[in-house]
Amino acid sequence: MLYFTLASKAYARNLQYRGAHLIHNLASAMFGFIYASIWIGVGDHASLGTYGIQGMVSYISFTQAALWVTSFISNGLGIPQSVRTGHISLDLMRPVHLFSHLMAREWGQIAYQFIYKSIPIYLIYVFVFSLQLPMQWTTYCLTALSLAGASYLAICMNYLIGISALWTTESSWLYWGNHALINLLSGFFIPLEWLPGGLEKLSWISPYPYLLYVPTSMYLERGNIAWLGGTLIWCVLMTAVCLLATRVARRKVEVQGG
Amino acid sequence: MNSLQTWMHMYLLLIRTTVRSRMQYKFNFVIGSFLAAFIQISEFLMVAIVLARFGGIRGWSIHEVGYLVAVMTLSKTLYRTIADEVHHLEKYLVSGDFDQLLTRPLPVLLALMPQSFRIMIGEVMQGGFILWWSLAGMLQAGTIGWPTVWWTPFIILTGAIILFSIGLATATIGFWTTRISELQTFTEDAARSAAQYPLAIYPKWLASFLLYAIPVGFVNYLPSLYLVKGELGAWVLAVTTAMALICLAAALRFWQFGITKYQSTGS
Repeated sequence: MLYFTLASKAYARNLQYRGAHLIHNLASAMFGFIYASIWIGVGDHASLGTYGIQGMVSYISFTQAALWVTSFISNGLGIPQSVRTGHISLDLMRPVHLFSHLMAREWGQIAYQFIYKSIPIYLIYVFVFSLQLPMQWTTYCLTALSLAGASYLAICMNYLIGISALWTTESSWLYWGNHALINLLSGFFIPLEWLPGGLEKLSWISPYPYLLYVPTSMYLERGNIAWLGGTLIWCVLMTAVCLLATRVARRKVEVQGG
Repeated sequence: MNSLQTWMHMYLLLIRTTVRSRMQYKFNFVIGSFLAAFIQISEFLMVAIVLARFGGIRGWSIHEVGYLVAVMTLSKTLYRTIADEVHHLEKYLVSGDFDQLLTRPLPVLLALMPQSFRIMIGEVMQGGFILWWSLAGMLQAGTIGWPTVWWTPFIILTGAIILFSIGLATATIGFWTTRISELQTFTEDAARSAAQYPLAIYPKWLASFLLYAIPVGFVNYLPSLYLVKGELGAWVLAVTTAMALICLAAALRFWQFGITKYQSTGS
C-alpha cells in the first residue's frame, strides 16, 4: 500500500505539467521523424533487408516511444541530488528499504511517461507514417512483458548510477556513459544485427539490448520468446547487485552539503 | 568607447577566472571533457555505422555527412561558449534576477553575456575530430580542394551568428511567456539536430521550414552544397553571410522590442 502511494504521488506530481509535456511531445516526435527520414533516405538506394523501409520506420517509431519508459527516467533516481543536499541520510533512516522506496516512486514516474509521452508520441507516428498495429493479442502481451522488464532494468541501472554518488562527486559521468552505450548497443537507432560484428557480440553480453531492441522486436513480431529469459536473468542479477550496493552504502554515509 | 573597453576587460577577466576555477579540478576536467566527446561521438557513430553499411544517403557520402555534423557542432559550440546565458534567459525571467541586469549602465545583452563563460572542450574535441576526419576523407577522395578547408572556419563563424540569432529570438519570446524551455527544444535542439543531416532527406515542407522559418539550413547545409558538393556557385557564401547578418540584425531588433514588454516576476 505504501509503495502504491509513493508511485501514485510521483504520478500526480507530474500531472500538474501535462499541458507543457504534451507540447513537448511534438518536439520529441521530431527527433524520431529525423531518424526515420535517415532510414527512408538510406532505403532509397539500398535494400533494408527483412525490415524494408516501412519496417524500419515502424522500428524507429516504436523505439522512440519506448525510450520514455526504458531510457529517459530520472537521472540516478534522484539520489545524486539527495546526496548533495544531505537528504539521503533521512532516506536511509526510513523503515523502508531505499531500493524499493525509490523504485516505487520511479514506477509512478514511468506510468506517467507511458501515458503522457510514449502513447501520444506513438500515435503521432501512427498517423504520420500510417503504421500498421499488430493484430494478435499475444504480441501485445509479449511486448508488455518485455517493456516492463526493460523499465525494471532501467530503474536498477539508474539506481546503481545514483548510489555511486555516495562515493564519487561525478556520478553524472556514469549517467552520460550509460547514455552513450544506450545509443550504440540497445538498438536505439540500428537493429543489432546490423552492428559491426564485434559490437553486436558485445551488445548481447550486456543488458542493453533488453532495454529497446527486445521489446521492439517483440512488438514487430520478429522477436524470440527465449529473449524474455534474458530479460529475467538480467533483472534478477541487477536486483542482487542493487541490494548489495545498498548494504555497502548503509555502513558509512558521507553527504556533501547541508 | 571607454565603456566598451571596460566591458572587454570584464569579459576577459571572467574568462580567466572561469578557466582557473575549472582547472582547480584538473582530473575531473580532463575526464569530463573526454567523456563529453565520447558521448557526442557515439551519436554520430550510430549514424556513421548505418551510412558505412548502406553506402551514404541521397548522394551524400559518410564524410560529407560528417562535415555537416562537424560544422553544426562547432557553430553551436562557439555560440554557447560565448553566449550561454542567452540560452538560459528563462532562469533570469522566472527568478526576477533580470531586474538587476536592467539597472546596469550597459546594454542588457552585454550585461547578460558575461554572467557566465562556458568551456566546452568536449564538444570542440568531438567537432574538431569529425571535421578533421571528414575533410581528410574528402581530400583523399579528391571531391574537395583546399579552398573548402580555408572556408570552413568562416562558415562556422557565420553559422554561430545564425544559431545565436535563433537563440536570441527564442529567448525574446520569453518576455511574453516567461517560460521558454519547451520552445527552445523545438527551435534550437530539434531544428539543429535535423539540420545535421542533408536537408534533401526530408519532405519538401520540412526542408523549406529549416531554411526559411528557422534558418538552421544556412549554418551548414547551404554552404556545403557549394563547398562540398560543388553545386550552385560561390554566390552561396555571399548569401550565407548576408543571411547571418540579416538574422543578427532582426534578432537584435526583436530583442530590443521585447525588452520593453518585460514585466518583473520576482518577489
